[in-house]
Amino acid sequence: MSLFRIFINQLEEDDQEMATSKKVITRGEWEKKLNAVKLRKEDMNTLVMNFLVTEGFVEAADKFQRESGTKPEIDLATITDRMAVKKAVQNGNVEDAIEKVNDLNPEILDTNPELFFHLQQQRLIELIRQGKTEEALEFAQEELAPRGEENHAFLQELEKTVALLVFEDASNCPVKDLLDISHRLKTASEVNAAILTSQSHEKDPKLPSLLKMLIWAQNQLDEKAVYPHINDLSTGQLEDPSD
Amino acid sequence: MPTTTSTSSSFSSAASSSGNRQADVFSRLASSDPEVKLKALREVKNQIIGNRTKKLSFLKLGAVPAIASALSDSECNSILVQSAAALGSFACGFEAGVQAVLDAGVFPLLLRLLTSSDEKVVDAGARSLRMIFQSNQAPKYDFLQEKNMKFLFSLLNSENENVSGLGASIIAHACGTTVQQQVLCDAGVLEKLVILLDGSLSQREACLESLATVLKNNPEAVSRFVGLEAGRYLSSVTELTKDRYPRTRLLSCLCLVVIYNTSPSYFLNMGTKSSLVTTLLELLNDHGQSGDDAALGLSSLIAEKEDLQKLAYEANAIKNIVDILKTGSELHPKRLQGLFLSLAELCSKLEDCRCSFLSLEMLDLLVNALRHKNADVRTAACICFRNAARSVKNLSAGRFTNDHVMLPLVQLLHDPSSSVEVAVLGALSNIVLDFSSPKSTFIEYGGIKQLIELSKSMDPNARCSALRALRNLMFLADNKRKELFYSEVKAQGFVSLISDPEPTVQEQALALLRNLVDGCINSIEFVFDEDGLILDTVGKQLRKSPQAHMAIQGMYVLTNVASGTELHKEAVMQQLFPQPQAESNNFMLKFLQSHESQLRSATVWTIINLISPSSPGAHDRHVKLRDEGIIPQLKNMVNDACLDVKIRIRTVLSQSMSFGDN
Repeated sequence: MSLFRIFINQLEEDDQEMATSKKVITRGEWEKKLNAVKLRKEDMNTLVMNFLVTEGFVEAADKFQRESGTKPEIDLATITDRMAVKKAVQNGNVEDAIEKVNDLNPEILDTNPELFFHLQQQRLIELIRQGKTEEALEFAQEELAPRGEENHAFLQELEKTVALLVFEDASNCPVKDLLDISHRLKTASEVNAAILTSQSHEKDPKLPSLLKMLIWAQNQLDEKAVYPHINDLSTGQLEDPSD
Repeated sequence: MPTTTSTSSSFSSAASSSGNRQADVFSRLASSDPEVKLKALREVKNQIIGNRTKKLSFLKLGAVPAIASALSDSECNSILVQSAAALGSFACGFEAGVQAVLDAGVFPLLLRLLTSSDEKVVDAGARSLRMIFQSNQAPKYDFLQEKNMKFLFSLLNSENENVSGLGASIIAHACGTTVQQQVLCDAGVLEKLVILLDGSLSQREACLESLATVLKNNPEAVSRFVGLEAGRYLSSVTELTKDRYPRTRLLSCLCLVVIYNTSPSYFLNMGTKSSLVTTLLELLNDHGQSGDDAALGLSSLIAEKEDLQKLAYEANAIKNIVDILKTGSELHPKRLQGLFLSLAELCSKLEDCRCSFLSLEMLDLLVNALRHKNADVRTAACICFRNAARSVKNLSAGRFTNDHVMLPLVQLLHDPSSSVEVAVLGALSNIVLDFSSPKSTFIEYGGIKQLIELSKSMDPNARCSALRALRNLMFLADNKRKELFYSEVKAQGFVSLISDPEPTVQEQALALLRNLVDGCINSIEFVFDEDGLILDTVGKQLRKSPQAHMAIQGMYVLTNVASGTELHKEAVMQQLFPQPQAESNNFMLKFLQSHESQLRSATVWTIINLISPSSPGAHDRHVKLRDEGIIPQLKNMVNDACLDVKIRIRTVLSQSMSFGDN
């Protein structure tokens, strides 16, 4: 019994040794290091503008341009068009969205079979959601079945979607995720990305990538040091390491 | 279930109601009311974009001419935009649509739109024209005409990215010949195109495509391009192989492949070569068209280049390609062709590759590809077999001679496509060299008859390849096989083969004959069949001042015949020095003076056999050869540049001395 206790004590001591083998950086030291890093205001403004433009906040981008003098990377007018498309999908008006995309650039849907299929699929989902069963079947037969014939992967997704019609209570069936609003958002995001690509713009804003890099860097540093973390990205507050 | 019965009736009504809707829209296209017309145009456009089935059904209704008249008759910008967009969609990736659009005379109408003051109209016109130029059916653009060149440059100079992209597209798809490339370069097209490299995504891609077309196989154009701003643009293109967009990476790789194949000296850096190979390998995994094009690009890059094949092998190319082929999903024929050709190139010279490839249980996949409906895929699979069969180790393990592989290959001898025929003959030529088994599956499948059939084909390539396969089949063959073969051909058949109008075919026929008479003395009798018809024909051909390659095989035939009995040797002498001889038409002397060392060597061998001291008539033959100036000629050749020839001559001269000659 006493041997066991000695053994446990030994382990505890080992733990402490391991904890103290990492370098400890105090709050003061850390803030000093951070202050030594110089950032240009222009770079930060560019990041903000990039975020506003990519996400489609036209008025905010316009105002920001006027106040800070930062040039937007693309013509703000095209953002309005793109946002109209995204909004239409998010509201479930897929047919309207398709018409708008075709007005903006008729090549996008003609050269993106996967996107086109997803839009048509969303249309089908909306018809099912509205309870228009006959119309939904007609639509599936006329518009989607040929796409399924052209491509095996589409066929599987089509079958999943049509399965919604089989169940009495669609909102509780195995494929109920399709009816979720998040599916609309997914489709909207896909369209947004395609439009951005056609305009040679990167489809993702840079800011989220930078934040991801921050978290990754902290994780890497955790293996070697004890230091104040940013745990809440929305506030960016430094929090002391827990003892 | 009650719902099923009601839906089945709605299915049939669905078909008819959609048909009705289409007919309704179609009729509104012809409306005189511009509002109604515009709405109908938009409706048609929105229905067909992305939807191939709808394109086809509207096409059948005759929508294209209707929309074309809307385009030509109207002044209203909105109508112009919508009709142009609809027509462009018909032409997008849909060959029947391109045909219909061109037939309806839309091309000049779209060109007119490019000069409009309304930017949207210009955009619509440029986009649609670009769609047309993606197709092979696009009108041949005559770059040699002054006004056409001017127009092209006005497009390239435009601020509008759709218009400049159109200019690049026209070049990419219409520029084919060296003359066209030259004319374009002289007019300064390279300088204009490279500006697009710094432009938008679509401009960059159009530029890369057109650069590849202008530079292809044209060293002058390549050196001009590389010379621009001291190689800056070559670096730009190389940088783009690391771009974030896969299609850009692909197009820049293909551009570099073109440059490398045309002027390899610009790629001395191993690093660039290596990264080109690995980028293309990565792109193979892309599901879309980029992946298809990457496969063909890779095969083109590593073709005939052992160092690059090694690089690819070390980068795990074989496993990667085999994994893609094994995924089981239906791959586009272009991709299959590219992948098989890449494998074929990898196996062309490197034994490691062949063994690695064959160890991955690929034969089933390859055999299936032999039955693919696309001829290019079948051809590529055959070439793959041909190169893999160069592995003696695997060949003698019987991997290729079992029924599973042999039967489909033999069946392809009847293939309607001539490229498949030639390719399968190439594969069989190698496979029949399997000496490990006493029986030959190929012969059991009636292979000999089929090859003889093909040796009479209209296509000279097929004749040549068939004879090559037969030549290999007769190599070190036993009497039984030789008899079997000869019974199908007979003397007259051989005469036709040896007298074929194509020199390459003649050469193969003589090589075949050489193998036939090689071996045991009885084999020599073949040439004496029907009063020595075959031997006479050989002699006749040799007297006709033939090309070196043909003469080499002919002399080896004589060498082999002269290795036989006294009668055989005398018969050869008859062919060499026929009586009466009007002029001294001594082809032997000519051959001994040939630049081709092999021909000199073959001729000396014949002499060696003719005067080999063990035979009674050797002395007399030696006298004749001396009198005809042959022996003196040999004395002049004691220091022949070719070691092999030198050694043989020494043999002759020592034989000569044994006859007591000075």
